[in-house]
Amino acid sequence: MRHFARVLSVGLVAALLTIVALAQTPGEGGIIIEGNFGGDPANLNPLLLNDTASARVAGFLFPGLIGLNPDTGNFEEGREDALVYDWEISEDGLTYTFKMRTDWTWSDGTPITSKDYQYSWDAIKSGKLQSPLNFIATDIIESVETPDDETIVVTFKNLSCTALSDASLPLVPSHIMPADFAEINTLEYNLNPTVTGGVFKFLELRPGEQVALVANQDYKGALDGVMPTGFIYKVVPDQTVLIEQFLAGETNVIDGAPVNRRSDLRANPDVNLYDFPGNAWDYLALNYADPKNPQNGLDENGNLIDQGHHPIFGDVRVRQAIALALNVDDIIKGAVFGEGTRMNGTLVPASWAYADDLPPIEHDPEAAIALLEEAGWIDHDNNPATPRIAQGALYAPDGTEFSFVLLTNEGNTRRGAVGTIVQSELAEIGIRVDFQAIDFNTLLEIMDSQEFDAFILGWRNGFPDDPDQTSLFTSSGDVVGSGNNNVSYNNPRVNELMEKARIYPGCDPVERAKIYAEIQAIFQEELPYIPLYVINGQYGARNTVEGFDPRPSLLYWNVDTWTVRAP
Amino acid sequence: MLKYIIRRLIQSIPTLLGITILSYLLMSLAPGGPARALTFGNQRVPPQEVARLEARLGLSDPFIIQYLRWLTGDDWMRWDSDGDGVSDGSFLIPLDADSDGVPEPPGTRRGIIRGDFGQSFFERRDVMRIIGERVPATLELGAASLLVGLIIGLPIGIVAAVRKGGAFDNFTRIMAVVFNALPVFWLGLILILVFGVLLKNATGGPFLPMGGRCPTTLTGCPPLHQRLHFLILPTFVLATGGIAGYSRYMRASMLDVINQDYIRTARSKGLTERNVWFKHGARNALIPLATFLGPSITGLLSGAAITETIFSWPGLGRTAVSAVTQQDYPVVMAVVIIAAIATVIGYILSDILYALIDPRIRFS
Repeated sequence: MRHFARVLSVGLVAALLTIVALAQTPGEGGIIIEGNFGGDPANLNPLLLNDTASARVAGFLFPGLIGLNPDTGNFEEGREDALVYDWEISEDGLTYTFKMRTDWTWSDGTPITSKDYQYSWDAIKSGKLQSPLNFIATDIIESVETPDDETIVVTFKNLSCTALSDASLPLVPSHIMPADFAEINTLEYNLNPTVTGGVFKFLELRPGEQVALVANQDYKGALDGVMPTGFIYKVVPDQTVLIEQFLAGETNVIDGAPVNRRSDLRANPDVNLYDFPGNAWDYLALNYADPKNPQNGLDENGNLIDQGHHPIFGDVRVRQAIALALNVDDIIKGAVFGEGTRMNGTLVPASWAYADDLPPIEHDPEAAIALLEEAGWIDHDNNPATPRIAQGALYAPDGTEFSFVLLTNEGNTRRGAVGTIVQSELAEIGIRVDFQAIDFNTLLEIMDSQEFDAFILGWRNGFPDDPDQTSLFTSSGDVVGSGNNNVSYNNPRVNELMEKARIYPGCDPVERAKIYAEIQAIFQEELPYIPLYVINGQYGARNTVEGFDPRPSLLYWNVDTWTVRAP
Repeated sequence: MLKYIIRRLIQSIPTLLGITILSYLLMSLAPGGPARALTFGNQRVPPQEVARLEARLGLSDPFIIQYLRWLTGDDWMRWDSDGDGVSDGSFLIPLDADSDGVPEPPGTRRGIIRGDFGQSFFERRDVMRIIGERVPATLELGAASLLVGLIIGLPIGIVAAVRKGGAFDNFTRIMAVVFNALPVFWLGLILILVFGVLLKNATGGPFLPMGGRCPTTLTGCPPLHQRLHFLILPTFVLATGGIAGYSRYMRASMLDVINQDYIRTARSKGLTERNVWFKHGARNALIPLATFLGPSITGLLSGAAITETIFSWPGLGRTAVSAVTQQDYPVVMAVVIIAAIATVIGYILSDILYALIDPRIRFS
């Protein structure tokens, strides 16, 4: 027994010693190094930033205003890692009153207060900023008041269920910002933010090489201090080098490994991975309107303008036939090496509004042929190798060949593969596709001009993402030259439903999801886009990184607890 | 000589002016535009915001106005005469470009003829600052590769000429063709694969860095001699063309010289072959090289776009590539103009060098 007690006590001491040795002190947990193939951050000032690389870095440098629940992806009151701990909504739903914590400080010791928020708002409202946030002041928020240091009162122009997201204006240290807002555009601070308030502090930016940040031990959002020593965002030329450097241990975190190399990562025992349904998706867009006479969706008084009809795609049966003829599973295999998830509509599967009970359109070439015949596109010579011709089609004169130009952006191998597969699958039902991969900017110009037949492109949704797609599929977004609804999809019922869901009183997600499900059901009939797939997301960390525990689209939500061991 | 240089410089003005017009025209004819590139992918930016942005960036002005503004600045196009910070007069461009009821701020640009290359659309910083940050890296890599090209290329050329028709000559001839034909992007990737992925160092890391100019640390970039290993791969890739070119040129030049009378004279004086080849032959064979040494030296400034991109080398070439894809006109134009000036000066320099080295040539 005594022997056992001795063994036990020696064991306990040894265990304790190990724990002491393993325990890290804040700020000494090693350096997190992530490869960045998106180029240098262009501007770290959150009032101005507009690129992914800047957003990644600024996300570490500036405090979050409204907290997100990492598990649900929804805004949440009372979170320790956000400035706002509570809010109230007025009865009319237009005014939000936020309460801020008062013990957070900027890295120079100055308290973070509602005055900083007021400054951001005044700056955006001045119209002098070259900021992607300008539309918040012109179209979304009516006014902001800050009666005391911890209260922010935001009044919106209209009801909107994206209010919390819209109200999340970035905070900047107003005590070192210029009084003339126009000067913000060219501040030295924008690429050398000396005073910040996030989990890391800015150390240096070496253009073309890296951005280095160090732990901010005054950050109140980290309850036990910030463990990692720092964070380096290292520039790499492309995704191939990104993954090679990660595999070689030159970086220890990876976001956006190329799909064709993900199996290499999975086979690597030194790597921890997190796969999730992503938020980037590709689609096939078919023009509804007459490409020879592009029109805006609405006139000056808000009345619908007649769009004419695309000779081929103006008939909804033709769109349905194309959707039925495509084998999206094959497309996923060919284009993204199986690293994609089918979509049943235009919402990503990760969205809370995704209609799980709506099955995607099944591959059925027979039904596709039947629909084409019904729509007056006949196989006149009984030879599927030659294109069908119109005979009694709705908008195409008899004798018109069923052939169209399908565009995508050059240099994107994924979309190139989609186009080739679409071309060969449609050829099987007598549709000739002239597939062209063209310069991206030229494609944008053609899309904006609305003078196209069809194109393949993608969207990357924001996070947290609202299912509102007003700009994509309602008449107000159908603006020749710049609108996102370039397929000219105009359905008054969808306009109405989209608006209803966007401003639903109380913004109850369950009720809103029902409306979006109805919209998605209409979309599956009318097919403004033929949705293809969402590319699965994947985060990876070498197993020297401890604390790596991402959520969808939230790689670094708990970065303050991470430690990196020497390999 | 001074008169000659001044005359050459004055002659180069119309050339440069032509280059500015042509390159600016090409740039503005390119499809798309920075306003769309700035807002693309954001579903929430309304169409009218794109139009406002275009107006504010001056992109909706006619081509000639845009060109004039870039060339001569806009401080004379929109001004504030009473000093209240609000513009109150304008010439050629509207006072309130985005029609929001508030005049745009007074012009502050001085134009490239006054040394102001404007501001990057994306970084919103002075273009000259962005370029200034990139020049050291570009010069470092360019100088290293020029040096390596000359140090390896010239001796190869001399020896190949001395042993004309021999195994070494044939080998280096094939090598030169291969080096010339190898696309740098391919060679770069293969070298990264071999020295970065396949070969490991003692600690299991890559044998040579796969890219970058400095180690990834929080302690800043060490001086050059502590990071020479970062230079090895990109320098070699960039030098291959030089090695091939200089060795062939040197060989031809040597063979040309060797048939001259003075070489026969040297031989007949009983000089050793070594003395004939290296003292009398090589030194004279170097003279024609001066013609392209000038442009090579000033050409270092324009950077090596592909090599810099592959090896994450933070130089001017890579900046130019990303500026082109982002349609960041001011940065692209600055790089083009700098390259044009460097080329013009390079040729003047080589003419001067030529005259300095070869006493038979005189300026007239």
